[in-house]
Parts: sequence; C-alpha cells; structure tokens
Amino acid sequence: MTWWSVIRFLHVTSAALWVGGQLTVSLVVLPLARRLLDTGQRARVLREVGRRFGMFTGAFFLPVQVSTGIAMAVHKGVTWESLTYPGYGRTLSAKLLLFVLVMVAATVHGWANGRGMAVFARSMAIAALVGSVGIVLLATALPVT
Amino acid sequence: MLAWLALAALATLTHDHLPAPRWLLIHVFLLGAVTNAIVTWTEHFAIALLRRGEPSPWVRPVRLAALNTGVAAVLYGATYGPVRLGIAGAALVVGVIGWHVAILVSWSRRALGGRFAHVVAWYIGAGAALVTGGTLGGLMLAAWPPGTSSTRLQAAHVHVNLLGWVGLAVLGTLFTLWPTVLRTQVAEGSGVIARRSLRLAVPGLAVTVGGFLGGARWVAVAGLLLYAAAAALALVPFLRTARRRPPHTPAAWMLAAGTAWFVVAVLADLSVVATRPADQVAHGIEPLVPFTLVGFAGQTLLGALTFLLPVVLGGGPAALKRNAALLERGWIIRLAVVNVAVPLIALPVPGRVSLIAWGFVVAALAAFVLLAAVTVGRARGPRVSPTVGGVAVGLLATAVAVALALSDGRGVTPAAKLAVQDNGAGVRTVEVTLANMRIMPGTIEAAPGTRLVLRVTNRDAQQHDLRLATGQRTPMLGAGQTATLELPPLAGPIDGWCTVPGHRAAGMTMRIDVKGTGRAPESGMDHSGRTDHMATAPGVLNLAAPMSPGWRPYDATLRPASGGTEHRMEIHAVRKDIEVAPGVRQRMWTFGGTVPGPVLRGKVGDVFTITLVNDDTMGHGIDFHAGSLAPDVPMRTIRPGEHLTYRFRAEHAGAWLYHCSTMPMLQHIANGMYGAVIIDPPNLAPVDREYVLVQGELYLGQPGGTEQVSKMRDGRPDAWMFNGTAAGYDHAPMTARPGERVRVWVVAAGPASGTAFHIVGAQFDTVYKEGAYLLRPGQGDGASQVLDLAAAQGGFVETAFPEPGHYPFVDHDMRHGEAGAHGIFEVTR
Repeated sequence: MTWWSVIRFLHVTSAALWVGGQLTVSLVVLPLARRLLDTGQRARVLREVGRRFGMFTGAFFLPVQVSTGIAMAVHKGVTWESLTYPGYGRTLSAKLLLFVLVMVAATVHGWANGRGMAVFARSMAIAALVGSVGIVLLATALPVT
Repeated sequence: MLAWLALAALATLTHDHLPAPRWLLIHVFLLGAVTNAIVTWTEHFAIALLRRGEPSPWVRPVRLAALNTGVAAVLYGATYGPVRLGIAGAALVVGVIGWHVAILVSWSRRALGGRFAHVVAWYIGAGAALVTGGTLGGLMLAAWPPGTSSTRLQAAHVHVNLLGWVGLAVLGTLFTLWPTVLRTQVAEGSGVIARRSLRLAVPGLAVTVGGFLGGARWVAVAGLLLYAAAAALALVPFLRTARRRPPHTPAAWMLAAGTAWFVVAVLADLSVVATRPADQVAHGIEPLVPFTLVGFAGQTLLGALTFLLPVVLGGGPAALKRNAALLERGWIIRLAVVNVAVPLIALPVPGRVSLIAWGFVVAALAAFVLLAAVTVGRARGPRVSPTVGGVAVGLLATAVAVALALSDGRGVTPAAKLAVQDNGAGVRTVEVTLANMRIMPGTIEAAPGTRLVLRVTNRDAQQHDLRLATGQRTPMLGAGQTATLELPPLAGPIDGWCTVPGHRAAGMTMRIDVKGTGRAPESGMDHSGRTDHMATAPGVLNLAAPMSPGWRPYDATLRPASGGTEHRMEIHAVRKDIEVAPGVRQRMWTFGGTVPGPVLRGKVGDVFTITLVNDDTMGHGIDFHAGSLAPDVPMRTIRPGEHLTYRFRAEHAGAWLYHCSTMPMLQHIANGMYGAVIIDPPNLAPVDREYVLVQGELYLGQPGGTEQVSKMRDGRPDAWMFNGTAAGYDHAPMTARPGERVRVWVVAAGPASGTAFHIVGAQFDTVYKEGAYLLRPGQGDGASQVLDLAAAQGGFVETAFPEPGHYPFVDHDMRHGEAGAHGIFEVTR
C-alpha cells in the first residue's frame, strides 16, 4: 500500500460514483418520480436532481478524475507519443476519447434541458450513461502493470 | 444513390487499403452513384416531358435490383475476382441500360410531341453511349479479342462513358433543368438547338471511339472537335438563360460550376488527345478522370440533388422550404472548398497538397450525404424514442473507441522519426527499414518478455512487406510507406522476411533473438534448403522423353522487319506454366506468356514504342539493350496493374537482349523474363531461312523460393534451353534444304552462362558478333566453327548445309550442350 494506491482508489471510486449515480437516477429515481409525483412536482424534483448531479460532476468528479488520471499517467511514464502505440497506448487514448465524448454528451444534456428540449436531453443522458459503461470496459482492458 | 455516394466517400478515405484503389474509387462513384442517378432521373424527366404515365410498378424495383447487382458484380469481380463475375456484371449493366434505352425509344416514338421531347433524344444517346462504353469495359476485363491494345480500349471506354453517358445525359437535362433551377422561362429556340447539337454530338463521339479503337489519333481529335462544337452549341441556351437570370440559388451555382469544369475538361482532353499517340491517351488522361468526376459529375449531381430532393420529398411549400434550407446549409463554404480543390486534384502539385484537396472534397461530399440523410430522415423516417437513440449513440461511441483500442497497427500510419526507444510499459519500438533487398536491422536482440513494436518503413522504390514467423505481417508497403507491428511479449526467436516472390531468397530476412540466447541470422532457416551436392540436369531430367501432347515449340523462324520505321507493341508481364523440358512444367515469369518474350525486329533508325503492362502480382520493369537512354524513368519498376511506355530509337545494329529490370534481376531473368531485339545491319543480304535462338538457363522449383535461388546464386541450373525449352528442337527440329543459305541469330540471355554456338557438321562462312562482322564470305579461305557469346551478348552466323541429314546444333560447352542446349536441323530435299 503506497500513496499511489490511494490515488488509484480515488480514481476508481470517483468513477464508480459517477456511473453508479447516473444508473441510480435513470433506473431508480426517474421511473419512481414518474409513477409517484404529479407533473409539477416531478419537473421540480428532476430539475433539482439534475442540478445536484451536475454540481457533483463539476465540483468533485471531474477535478478528481482528471488530476488522479494525469498523475497516474505521469507516474507510469506515459508520453504523448506512446499514446499512439498499439496496445496500452491506444487503449488509453481510446478511453480518453470516449471520456471526452461522454463529457460532451453530459454537457449537451444539461444545455438541452435548460432550453426545454426534453426528448433530445434524455437521449443525450442515456448516451452519456452507455458511454460511461464503455469507459469502464476500456479501463478493465488496460493491461495491468 | 445516397448509399453509393457515402460508399464513394468511404472508399476515398480507405483507398490505401484497397487492392485496386483508383479503379474501385472511380467505378464506385460513376457506376454506383452517377449511373443510378442518371437512370432514375432520365426516366423521371422522360415521363414528365413526354407526359407519360408511370411504368408498371414492377419495372423500377426490378431494374434497380438488376442494375445494382450488376454494379456490385463488376466492382467485386474486377477487384477480388473471379473476373468472370465482373464480366457478367458488365453484361448485366449493359443489358439493364439497353432495356432502359429501349423503353425511352418506344416512348418517344409514341409520344404526342411534348414541348421538350427533344431532351429525351439526348437521354437515348447517353444510354447508347453507356451500352458501348460498358461493352468496351467488359471486353477489357475479358482481355478479348486477344491481341487488341488495352490502352486503346481504355481510351475509348473512358471517353464514351464520361462524355457520352454522363456528358449527354447532363447536357440534355440542362436544357430544362437549368431554367427550372433559375426559376425562369426556357430560352427561345432551345428546342432547335438541342436537336441540332445532338446531331453533332453523337457522330462526334462515334468518330472519337472509332479513332481510339483504330489507333488513329487525328480521327479521334476530329471526333472530339465535333463533340466540343456540339457541347458549345448546346450550352448557348444555358448562357442566354444565365445572362437573363444570373444564378442565385445554391443548386444553380453548383450546376454552373459543374458545367464550367465540364468545358475545361473537354478542352484539356482535346489537348491531351491531340498531343500524343492513341496508345498513350489512356495514360495521359488519367489525371483528368478524377478531375472530371469531382468537378463536373460530382458537382452537377450534388447541384441537381440539392434542387430535386426537396421537390421529391414534397410535403407542401413550408416543408419544401425547410428541407431546402437544411440541404443548403453551409453551401457557400462547400462550393468554395470543392472548386478550389478541383484544379489541385488534376495539377501536378506536391502529394501533401493533393491529399488536402482530396480531404476537402471528401469532407464536402460527406457533409452533403449527412445533410441529405437528415433531410430524408426528417421527412420520411419514423421518430426514434430517446432511449433507443441515446443507447445507439452511446454504443456507437463505445464501438469507435474499442475499435481504436484494438487497432493492431496493421494500418498504414505516417512515418515518424523514431529510433529504438524504451518506455515504462516494457515496450520497445524498433525502426525497421526495407531497402536494397535487405531488412535493416538484420537482427534485433531483446530481453525475454519485451513487447516489441516494429515500425516498418519501405525505403525502396519497389513494394515490400514484412512477415514474421508468428503470422503477423504488414500490408504490402509502397515506396515511403510505414506500418507498425506489435509483437506479443517475446518468448523465443522469431524469423521475419519479405513475402514478395524471390525477395526472401535474395536476402530480405531478419531475426528477433532473445537476449543471451542469440544466434546469428546466417545460422537460421536461410540455409536449411541448401546442400553441397551438385544436382546436375541429366540425373534429374530425361531430355529424351517425349514432349507432352499438345506442346508446340517456340517458333524460331525470324520474320523480316515490317516496312515501317515505327514499331509498336504491347507486352504483358504475366506468370505462366510452360513446358520447359520434356514432361516438365515450370511456373515461369514471362514477357507476353512465352519464354523468350516476343522477338522485335527493325532497321537502324527505327523507333520502337513498347507498352509494358504488368499483369503479374509483383513488380516488373523492362530494359532494352537495343536503345540508349537514361534508365531512370523507362526502366523503372511498375507495380501490378500499372503500365509504362518505353520508347527508343535503334541507333545501332545488333542482336540485342531485353530483360526485366526489376531487382533481383538474377531471379527475374532466370525465371524467364528476357527476349531479343534484332536490328539488321545495313545492307544485310537476304537469305533463304532465318532463325533466332535465345539461350537461357532453367532453374526448377518454386520461383523465388530459397532452394531455387540458391541454385541461381551458385550457377547450378537444372538445364539450359534454346527458346525456353530444354532439348525442345530435338523433338521439333528446325528445317532447311541442302544448299540453302541459313542465318541463325543467337542471343545469350544467361543470366550466368554464355554460349559457344556450334552446328555439328556445318561451318560458318559469316559470323557477326556484337555489332561487327568477324568473318564474311570472300575474305580469304577461312571459316568459323563457334559463335562465342558472353551472357547478354548476341550475333548471327550463316551457313549452307551441304547435303540432307540431321545436323545437331549445340552450345559446345558440353555441360550445357548435354543438359538441354541442344537441337536439330533436319535438312531434307
């Protein structure tokens, strides 16, 4: 157990919270809210849930993910060039690409919700969720060192 | 149609990985997108203009299915084989268009004479052009009739399809489409002009095609001039309309730009055709074809679609306006980008610039396809639930990322400056260079468990690849291309080599060793096939055995030079199984399917224009000793499917060798790629019989295989051959009558040994060797017994046989003479 284990722990836990949070909202909160609350209440609750989750993302998840990710990459000796190598390098760059796409989808989701484009916002939220699971898949595919 | 357009964009992006990049690209676009568009729209307009009812409901789906089956068969069959599938596809396409033309003809016969019936006549002309062009294409695929020049066929095929099928259909459509797009009246008198110009254009095209097929340059030029005049006349109403109502919509601008490039293309084509012989036209217009495709056909198609798609989708004026607005999004940028890129595609600019130009074109095309797909989807498509849509988008993004992660480096990546490099993950990158029949470095040593990444770059002029014993391999790399191989953790030694036939045996091998257990590559599998035992021919071959039934000797009779001073020939480099000794067939590398290749003959001062077509799967070149020129360009190696033109003036007399100029020449010559050029000395006296014998060595075994090549290196042929068959003329003697003067030209092709040519029982009174007479009748009482030639030398001898009998001719180096360099003159009254 070294300090690097702690960093890795933060990275994994934060990711688990984010993916788990999305799953909870989509599979637990949303259906229940639809069933139990009337239209006005539902809109308010869901807006608040979204705002909180957005705050969690911006204030905790993103800073932790990016800083611990960069720290581990530097520690491991990943260079810009090695990101193009087949194997570890390419898997890592694919994971980063998908991460960027997911963040874009999440941002678009928030923006669309604010403009009342509910259907589009919903499809972006689901795209972000599926993409996040894809990131986990790629993370498990990174060769252990 | 949209699908074909998307495929064209995709094919452009991936063209480096496709087996026949340019051909496939052009045909995906023209046969796929453009032909479908023309068939659909010409029928649509014909119905509208002739005020016909819709055809039976089964006609369209059946025609569409048949046409696209044909197109797919052509594309697949010609690229991946079997060729017969491609030919059948061409026949199907021609049949479908023929059917389409027949329908149009019957309609216009029975038409009541709509105001714009003349346009349909253009469509009929266009269809007839494709029937001709498609037939020519099919003939090219079938290489039939034998002996026709494929370059002439190609020139005719390109012209009739581009200027006829595409050109006539577009020009005809513009008569009505152009005023419609500009939302104005059709110009006065355009009907008369349409009829007159078509009457010029069709004969013009027919004359052009005839000129190309007949190899008559000026006939083709005359036809093209006629066609250009017709096009100019047909564009008069176009200009009049534009002057009255300048283009103001995106569709109009695209059509105008497309038409402008059409004019440029026709003029450029005229200058190309006028400045070179018919055989070189196909090569000369090569850069013009993509230019015409993008500038003219592509833009016109996109312009027409921009206007017509909203009309077809319909849905009332509001929907029409909305759809049009969506389709026209960013049109100014797209138009500008494409029209800046179009000239860059055709002009000889640096590779990077033309790559960027192509990138712009593809981006503009992709943008249109995307916009069109969205428009169609919005107008027609069912609504997708947000859940399904979201999951689809997420899965797509994940799939792209996973594909990127799993990409194994087989793709060709741009070269980077990278030396041997270690990084934290136990990965080591090694630069590997392929050049001069060597793989550098020849040995790589690495610690056990190292994950090697080989960045393989081909620094040679010809193609190479690298294959490892583990089965991993790079794609075939062209000059300057790089690919990456990622190896699993190193466990044991791995051998690597180039898979181009003969290159491994020529020394293109490498070895990866585990540190500490290394062995030099010389002790590897390179030598495993080598033995010290001399495998001499008599022990292996039975030269007295009968030849197989149906075998025919290479005709040694030398015909007089043709009367002209210009000689043209097309020679195809092909692999062929040939009976090289009684009952023994060997896969030979040949010029024109025979060993030796075709014999060329002429006089001093004659000009030879040879087109070499590479029908093999490996690179080849040609070197004519009879000409004197800088080797750089004409003797270059051309890749499979390419052709080159080699033009030389025979300044000096002699019996000259020609041979393949591609390294390793030892293998290319030893496997049969040689032939003779006979340039008569001035005042060469006529004789009763003239023969030519090209002597070569025979190496049996897998061509280019280690075993065969080591025999070549050691100079241990399995046999010697006159004209490609060991002891062939023992079984099919050459003939003469007593007292006749017989002249025998001899060329020693080697690659290693020369000859000591002798006719048993005869004496030579004339000996000509390497450009000079060593002996002529009347110079004293002497005579000669042997014409001695080193490898690649040539000459002739003359004699008269005194009486009937069987006179053996041999290479009097008896190692050769008793191992196949042997034949018989049968002299009878």
